[in-house]
Amino acid sequence: MSGATLRHIRHVVATNPVTLAAVLLFAAILLAALLGARLAPLDPLQTDVARALRPPSAVNWFGTDHLGRDVFSRTLVATRLDLLIAVSAVSLSFVAGCAVGALTGYFGGLADRVVGRLVDVLMAFPLFVLAMAMVAALGNTVANIIYATAIINLPFYIRFARAEVNLRRAAGYVLSARLAGASDGRILARVLVPNIMPVMVVQMSLNMGWAILNAAGLSFIGMGVKPPTPEWGIMVAQGASHVTSGHWWVALFPGLALVVTVFAFNLLGDGLRDIVDPRRRT
Amino acid sequence: MGRVSLRFVLGRVLAALPVLAGVVVLTFVLMRLLPADPAAFYATGPAMGPAEVEALRRQLGLDRTVAEQLLIYLRDLGTGNLGRSMVTGQPVTEDLALRLPASVELTIAGFLLALLVALPLGILAATRPDSAIDHLTRVIATTGVSMPTFVTGLVLIFVFYFLLGWAPDPTSRYDLFLPQSPRLTGFLTLDTLVDGNWEQFGAVAARLVLPAATMALFAIAPLARMTRASMLAALQGDFVRTARALGLSPAKVLLTYALRNALIPVVTMMGMVLSYMLGANVLVEKVFAWPGIGSYALDALVASDYAPVQGFVLVVAAIFVVLNLVVDLVYAAVDPRVGLG
Amino acid sequence: MKRRDFVRGGVLSIPAAYLAMQGIGPAAAQSRAETLRVLSEGVPNTFDPSGAGANRESNGFVWNVYDRLVRFSRYEVADGVYHYDYYNLEGEVAESWAWSDDGTRLTFRIKPGLVFHDGSPVTVEDVKWSLDRVVSMPASARQMSTGSMTSPDQFEIVDDRTVMAKFDRRDRFTVPNLAIIFPGIINSKLARQHATAADPWAGEWLKENTAAGGAYTVESFTPGQQIVFSRFDGWKGGPLPTLRRAIHQLVPASSSRAVAVERGDTDIAMGIPPQELAALEGKPGVRIASVPMRNAFQFIGMNNTLAPFDKRGVRLAIAHALPYEAMFNGVLRGRGRPLFGGTEWAPSTAQFPAPQPYVTDLDKARSYLAEAGMAGGFETTFTFNIADEAVVEPIAILIQEALAQIGITVAIEKVPNAQMGTMLTEKTIPFFFDVSSAWLNDPDYFFRIFYSGDWRWNYGSFKNAEMEQLLADVRFESDTAVYETKVRRIIEIAFAEAPVILLWQPSHDIPMSDTLTGYTYYFHRQVDYRVLNRV
Repeated sequence: MSGATLRHIRHVVATNPVTLAAVLLFAAILLAALLGARLAPLDPLQTDVARALRPPSAVNWFGTDHLGRDVFSRTLVATRLDLLIAVSAVSLSFVAGCAVGALTGYFGGLADRVVGRLVDVLMAFPLFVLAMAMVAALGNTVANIIYATAIINLPFYIRFARAEVNLRRAAGYVLSARLAGASDGRILARVLVPNIMPVMVVQMSLNMGWAILNAAGLSFIGMGVKPPTPEWGIMVAQGASHVTSGHWWVALFPGLALVVTVFAFNLLGDGLRDIVDPRRRT
Repeated sequence: MGRVSLRFVLGRVLAALPVLAGVVVLTFVLMRLLPADPAAFYATGPAMGPAEVEALRRQLGLDRTVAEQLLIYLRDLGTGNLGRSMVTGQPVTEDLALRLPASVELTIAGFLLALLVALPLGILAATRPDSAIDHLTRVIATTGVSMPTFVTGLVLIFVFYFLLGWAPDPTSRYDLFLPQSPRLTGFLTLDTLVDGNWEQFGAVAARLVLPAATMALFAIAPLARMTRASMLAALQGDFVRTARALGLSPAKVLLTYALRNALIPVVTMMGMVLSYMLGANVLVEKVFAWPGIGSYALDALVASDYAPVQGFVLVVAAIFVVLNLVVDLVYAAVDPRVGLG
Repeated sequence: MKRRDFVRGGVLSIPAAYLAMQGIGPAAAQSRAETLRVLSEGVPNTFDPSGAGANRESNGFVWNVYDRLVRFSRYEVADGVYHYDYYNLEGEVAESWAWSDDGTRLTFRIKPGLVFHDGSPVTVEDVKWSLDRVVSMPASARQMSTGSMTSPDQFEIVDDRTVMAKFDRRDRFTVPNLAIIFPGIINSKLARQHATAADPWAGEWLKENTAAGGAYTVESFTPGQQIVFSRFDGWKGGPLPTLRRAIHQLVPASSSRAVAVERGDTDIAMGIPPQELAALEGKPGVRIASVPMRNAFQFIGMNNTLAPFDKRGVRLAIAHALPYEAMFNGVLRGRGRPLFGGTEWAPSTAQFPAPQPYVTDLDKARSYLAEAGMAGGFETTFTFNIADEAVVEPIAILIQEALAQIGITVAIEKVPNAQMGTMLTEKTIPFFFDVSSAWLNDPDYFFRIFYSGDWRWNYGSFKNAEMEQLLADVRFESDTAVYETKVRRIIEIAFAEAPVILLWQPSHDIPMSDTLTGYTYYFHRQVDYRVLNRV
């Protein structure tokens, strides 16, 4: 990383306190995901019906749920799973989308047209219903939720990668690489893909938040991960029925964790965009 | 607009046909991958045994191969027959016709509400980049897009209906105990207005506020961001500098020159947001008992009721195609440099 | 009313819409007090009493819109709240009925002066046609056969007020079967106009139209959304109902339904899970009608033909490992009648469902497991319906935790309604939770439906030669002492074999406005508008 880039990053962070906050928030969430299981004060799966729906206290910081489980421990431990779903889904669609998009954008031809049409079909689909149908068809395992989320994100990456590569294939540095005798594969792998990477990373960060929301939506209609695994979406969906009876903590804390995480991803994406491309600054 | 030829429109519509065909086939196959057997599910009244299940399977045509079923479906589709819903017992075309206006009315209301907030916020942020108001705008917009729609909906219901009692009960689109207006468009706001039924109009509008706000919250962020970015670019443009140099008032410069140019990418974004909202209001409809096509598809999916899901996806995809076309046409109207021929 | 009308008319049928335009619509003219509003999980998907694939709300629809020859009377279980009385029937269309001494003839005398909604008289021809139809329609034929009614040839018109049914011998299930949903009395003159050669029973037409004479008519219907009933003032099948109008509406979110009751925006909310009921308890203006359902039960099912549940020891081990108290008090909040913790392996009465002699006793569970040669435990999947998630998800977790203590590893699977139905019908599901209810209440009927046969309702896929023989023996038994002895033996077999583990009979809990009285629980779990009153 050059000195200029570092200076630019420092400038962006300095003029944009919100991005700084997002970075710090993200670091904390990452820490929770990595260490959550060890930091949890109580067993997130241990039920105790006699202690159900207790309000926040010194023992149960976020109270207990309808089975007497510790909401704080469950919220903390769920971080890893929710991040796992988001990161895996987005990485999958990123890798697959980049590969397909870059290849079709570079070579064009029949494959490009066919893929283009397939992407059109996917984009015309009501995406949430597509994800639902896929999870319903394949079964509600974590892996299938990840695949479904990845597939509904795929078209954006293919389009994006295709457009960027197509735009740059005639750029000066590509032509010079070709003149230097580089093969198509080498140009794609060494020149084009690294060049579109920063823009794609921004997109990934924004998509992470969306992936978490998508998984939460699936949980709300009962197509989330299997019990008793703690997951924010399910905790909010199930906790919601306790709110009117005054047991607000069951839904509030996992809900906050979810919103704060998505929020951090979104702000981070914005910040990254500023760093990657100041002109695109929004 | 004069340069938009009929040929262009027709060409676009024809080009969309393979996409719609792909959507139909994909949905059809996906539904048949569901592990549930509709015959086994629906033939389970009291005292229904294997023979009755088999009879229903034959009646539904589910004993045929998927390829045969698809051909039959496509043939029916050609005659405008989308099949029959097992959940409601009605033809899917009639169900969709009854419910589509509810979804569209909600989506448009949410979209207008989002625009109403997003445009001023975006413009305001663009005029004072990196100021406190800019950051605040960003935080507000991002918070909206960071909440799952069902959470937003439940929170709004809890606060405005349950705690404060300001909003009407989230259980229907109109007041059941007021006289109803005859159905003309299915858009209850319009129907009650045409009828001059002010009391019911008020009730309808009041019932639209919370679900529309829930949908708007999700749409504010992309619209406000795009407005800010393109306004920022436009404000740095030569014509704005020229206009300023000519001594035009700041308001005129901002709203006439900058905004008009900034609107072009915003219109594209609007098309995307609007079509996304139409497909994504499934959960909002569920939370607010809104009788739209989204909740219809959701109930059908859980019940392995093939025809309504297929019909829903086809309709949403068709709307998506039409919206894209409209965006292109609007684009041409807003930006004189773009010609469509 | 015709379907076309309400489709074109949208929410209102055309005449009603016209009235509404004049500002004198029924909604405006009638006071809120005479209108009942019910929020529910569904709306009818067919109007046909013998409709295929009919949902629960269709049963409620037919109950209020059609009359039957006879109806169950009711008894009070709490102040102003009733349970239907299976053993006491009264006439609805019939004025009286009687068996011949040899039990081969059952004659019904029709009330004079009854009319259908279109004003035409209810005749013996209508009754005969309706009975012919109910034994011929695929959705109802098998149920009717449980009352020895199998062919139209059995029904004869004697004179203009008398209809007779012929049997080989007297069957105590015949008359109760005439009081359930299916045998609604249809206006045959009207329905036959819409019959075709391919559809002689006018099934297509009756799916979306009514030819009825019950206490309520359809004022408007919006499929998948709501249905509005209005009172048929010409009804003479019973005392004229006091509620003029009833709006039955679909509201998917149970919390919205519950809150609407609390805020007084609706009169009745259906399908409210226990934790939300707890929040409504004691709220001003709200009362919860709580009726112990005599015919319903929640249970743990095990497929007795799939290993390891084919071993009796495994089933009994689970029966003694389930955390009954935690499930019943912690999750169900005590809302029901326990079917665990009984003391008799050989029952002293023929009542059923009755508490089984299973208690949480892990040592005993382990020894049963060892007896089955499964001391090391095993792995299995426990499945439940997403629609029941609010209650079953916590139960599943408690079961998972409890069974882990005797070495059984349980994975929890929740599946959509349709998939659950398919798995149950195809018998591919090893271990699960479900809820069910019998439409007729005799103990032997219960075992015939749930402990034998090749259908979905035999949840354990149970097959026991002695029980089958006993069930065949008591089918037409009229000697009470013999009947009870044999049924006691049947119950004893069920306890010893544990093909399914009955958990409890949940109570039917309906939060409603405290201005309502007369709420009556029926086997179909829907609201009977005819007997409700507002004070």
